[in-house]
Amino acid sequence: MQKTSKSGWPARLSAWLVLLAVGLWPVQAQQTTLTVLTHDSWSLDKNLIARFEQESGLKLRFLKGGDAGEMLNKAILSKAAPIADVIYGFDNTLLSRALQADILQPYRSPELPNLRAELLIDHTFRATPVDYGYVALNYDREYFRGRPLPQRFADLASPEFARLLVVQNPATSSPGLAFLLATVAAFGEEGYLEFWEGLRQNGVRVVSGWSEAYYTHFTRAGGDRPLVVSYSTSPAAELYYSEARPKPTEPPTANLFLPRSSFFQVEYVGILKGTRNLRAAQRFVDWLVSRPAQENIPTQMWVYPARREARLPEVFRFAQVPPEPARLTPQQIAGNRERWIREWTQVVVQGQTAAAVKARR
Amino acid sequence: MTKGARRPIAGAHWLALPVLGFLALALLYPLGRIVALGLTEGFAAALADPYYRLRLAWSLAYGLGSSLLCIAVALPLAYVFRYRFPGRDFWLAFSVVPFVLPTLVVAMGFLSLVGPRGLLEVNLYGTPWILFWASLLYNLGLVLRPLVALLPKLNAPMQAARTLGASPLRAYLRVGIPLLAPALLSSGSLVFLFSFTSFGVPLLLGGPGWATLEVATYYALAQRLAFPEASALVLMQLGVTGGVLWLYLRLQVAWTVGLEGEDAPRPLVRGRALGLAIGLSGFFLLLYSPLWALLWRALERPGAWISPWQSPDFTPSLLALQNTLAFAALALLWVLPLGTLYAYAVWRGARWLDGLGLLPLMVSPVALGLGYLLVYPGLRGSVWLLIAAYTLLSYPLLTRALLPALEGLPRGVLEAARVLGAPPWRRFIRVEWPLVRPSTIAGLALALAAVMGEFGATLTLQRPEWATLSLAIYERLGRPGATPFYEAVVLAVVLMVLCTGLLLGLQKSAWAR
Repeated sequence: MQKTSKSGWPARLSAWLVLLAVGLWPVQAQQTTLTVLTHDSWSLDKNLIARFEQESGLKLRFLKGGDAGEMLNKAILSKAAPIADVIYGFDNTLLSRALQADILQPYRSPELPNLRAELLIDHTFRATPVDYGYVALNYDREYFRGRPLPQRFADLASPEFARLLVVQNPATSSPGLAFLLATVAAFGEEGYLEFWEGLRQNGVRVVSGWSEAYYTHFTRAGGDRPLVVSYSTSPAAELYYSEARPKPTEPPTANLFLPRSSFFQVEYVGILKGTRNLRAAQRFVDWLVSRPAQENIPTQMWVYPARREARLPEVFRFAQVPPEPARLTPQQIAGNRERWIREWTQVVVQGQTAAAVKARR
Repeated sequence: MTKGARRPIAGAHWLALPVLGFLALALLYPLGRIVALGLTEGFAAALADPYYRLRLAWSLAYGLGSSLLCIAVALPLAYVFRYRFPGRDFWLAFSVVPFVLPTLVVAMGFLSLVGPRGLLEVNLYGTPWILFWASLLYNLGLVLRPLVALLPKLNAPMQAARTLGASPLRAYLRVGIPLLAPALLSSGSLVFLFSFTSFGVPLLLGGPGWATLEVATYYALAQRLAFPEASALVLMQLGVTGGVLWLYLRLQVAWTVGLEGEDAPRPLVRGRALGLAIGLSGFFLLLYSPLWALLWRALERPGAWISPWQSPDFTPSLLALQNTLAFAALALLWVLPLGTLYAYAVWRGARWLDGLGLLPLMVSPVALGLGYLLVYPGLRGSVWLLIAAYTLLSYPLLTRALLPALEGLPRGVLEAARVLGAPPWRRFIRVEWPLVRPSTIAGLALALAAVMGEFGATLTLQRPEWATLSLAIYERLGRPGATPFYEAVVLAVVLMVLCTGLLLGLQKSAWAR
């Protein structure tokens, strides 16, 4: 009697653990579930999604994988056993990484002719453009009332504007990467590291993602940084979500369009190789660029829809298009991105001098 | 027990075979690939990079500083523990409890006390002080307990030296310190190894300025997919840990001195004992204050006990809880046979295995994850990859607990069983197993607690459907706002209760009979 109870305990313990785990397991749905890997800023109207699920008979599961860069890395690392069917939210700065890693399969959506031609950068049809926007500097108008604003891009590194700016780490964040690319375009290969060295000495704060920068460190959210790398549409969003009564007529923040300080960004959707729901994935892509979804995108994710005839909401008046955005060719980005990020990390995060980093090139 | 008393048995080597096979597949092959990749591609560049040299220097300083700090605090404490006072046994037992607490729990405790949202409103986040404190909290018991056991045994030799005419100072310098040195060196090098390779605490509390090599490895991998660079960093780390481990083993062999003596704590007059009790309790309460702060923060917002289970923005916490339990159960299936077989093989004569078994303690979880991603790309979707990592990291804990129990088996009983004609399997079931059962359960509890709280390998190999409680906590830390923070606090308390409950429950049942 005693012997059996003694020798049976490991089995008993594991049985209990298994039982506990199984008992807590939710009942699996019978529908086809389509898993969509997105970045953390993904958002669409719930009713719109519910209607799509009803019409298509699919169940959508959205998997937030961190900021765009991190999300894409996860997709690449899990290439052999994909964690999702569709990936949304990688942009033109990361496009070549996605294409080179060969994680996407081609799909020529019938909706393509309705999309803006200048966004169709990928000629292998593996990445379908969904929206575009501009990464731009925003400032807190309240803070700068009666204080001078920077006039040139280089002013950000001058002592007059010390400890005012918060940026995102380009290694993890797509607006952060876009802003880094803007500095490369503005100051050139030779000058951009010196500019960043100046920013570092000027007390620039680096955080890992956009939401942390905007909702924690920006003065509008109670932080101590009145300048933030965000989007040219953010002021419009501020007005749209304003809870002040009476509703203000102007946003509390504004774009700071210093020449070549903003960067053109296109976000894509792609079907991951190895999906077991190819037809459903294609249907999702078509839906994402269809008119209802496209017209919902501006006030949900605060970017411009890729579809030509999609109407913009009225509040987009305050989402100006920068007069002089920085641009780099996809080839330039593909060939140098990893090195730029590495050099940026060495200068800004690791505190090395620009000269020392350039000497090791 | 001398070596001559136990003749190696041919069968012992066969017993070791499954363990060796597992080690080869789950440790040596992935590690070999890392070494190869690191040596061919990344090592020279990483060594030339001043940032990585700085990370290496800081990791060394952190390891060394931690072990010196632990020794400096533990040595006077051990002298105090020679006396009997209220609470003595409790604090002595408690000092090893943090050792089994998951990193995320301890890190959340520090954030609750001295983080940006801390109770004290002193923000130590991103300073080395918080890291050293964490190291002391984790490792003090590791140094203290052997010292407390050793100190009373010094009396006889010291007295002998005094009798022979040595001054107290001279007796201490020439007899006391040499006798203490092996214990100090071996526990100090263990503390060094744990701090040098630590991941979760510096990742969560250190900020970019105080990242260890391990954290730098993770960033190189997760942010930039720079496999060669990450491999080079792992290689650097392996070099150091390998050297220290070798030293540790050499010291253990060379310096072990058999000492015998009184064990019981000395009595004290009532007033002094009370004074000691109050002073020491104050010290330990302060040392472990992050844990109290964690509990306090968790009770502060009752709403946070409900919201994590239904928040749409994160991995469902219920899934995380299930995964934590299910993975522990799955790992148990491997840890038990492997750990037992391994301990049995060493005991039955495969002594050369003993050193090999320490290898898993040498590799870091992040390095292990990196190695698996490199060599088993096809298995990236299989949960067995994760279970293999868990098993590898935790089975030595079972073995370490089981081996002394096996060595301590009374030989007469075994001989008697053999003489009476019991075949080996029968001897195992009827004689050996019942005798070592308590130690097995205790070791298994340790291993399971380690699995439940594992963070580094889980993070490196993560897949959304494999989210554990540790990952659910980590996920919330990057988000702005108070709600995710409080949810993380609550989940940390759940994890803490799970681990300590398991440990206490199993140990109680182990010694109950």
